[in-house]
Amino acid sequence: MDVRQEKIGEVSVVGVTGRIDSSTAPLLEKHLTENLGAEKVRVVLDLSRLEYISSAGFRILLLAAKRADDTGSRFILCGLGGKVRQLFDLGGFLDLFTIVGAREDGIAAVQ
Amino acid sequence: MVEIAVTHRGSEFARVVALLDQFGKDHGLAPEIVADMQVAIDEVLTNISKYAYTDNAEHEIHIRFQVRGNVLEAIIEDDGIAFDPLTIPPPDLNLPLRERRVGGVGMYFVTQLMDNVVYERRGEVNHLVISKRINK
Repeated sequence: MDVRQEKIGEVSVVGVTGRIDSSTAPLLEKHLTENLGAEKVRVVLDLSRLEYISSAGFRILLLAAKRADDTGSRFILCGLGGKVRQLFDLGGFLDLFTIVGAREDGIAAVQ
Repeated sequence: MVEIAVTHRGSEFARVVALLDQFGKDHGLAPEIVADMQVAIDEVLTNISKYAYTDNAEHEIHIRFQVRGNVLEAIIEDDGIAFDPLTIPPPDLNLPLRERRVGGVGMYFVTQLMDNVVYERRGEVNHLVISKRINK
């Protein structure tokens, strides 16, 4: 898994390439914790290059969404492809997160 | 068939993922099938790592992958406490964010992504077979 971070205006865009599983989830957690550390921040998580995500990864995403909730921040996911969307659907996670299509939609949605 | 043994502590689980990548290539398996098996194996190993051992010793988990006819099969063995992961109740998928726990989702993924999951206690060993049709 590789994580790439970008700042577009006030928005932090975190892009994940590869797989999120029990081995790689701690690195994702580190990035999300850093980005969601302050109050009222805006974070877009771009999953368009993600191959799959296991429950270890979903745990990190749930924690991030709760943290964003607690700090008045926005945390939006975008770019869910076929396999990744299937896993979100299977786990009942589609309704728990704000999910948009493309990265630009995500950046627009958190403004 | 390929075999691998990893410590239950999780630090070597990435080796299992890499082995499956290679195994998938060698057998011409569709990436989708390999991905489903990788997710399922991660869930099984995570489960063992968290719940199988009550002592502080390091334990080995043994994993074998094989293609049998039209089926990709993984056999996972650990010497932890007897535990049938199929008895874990399915998660309540309708709870709101605040109440959602990921516990329970892992084994649910395994049963949903695989076509067959069989647990047996063999002496002092938990023997789990998970398999998926490969539709070559």
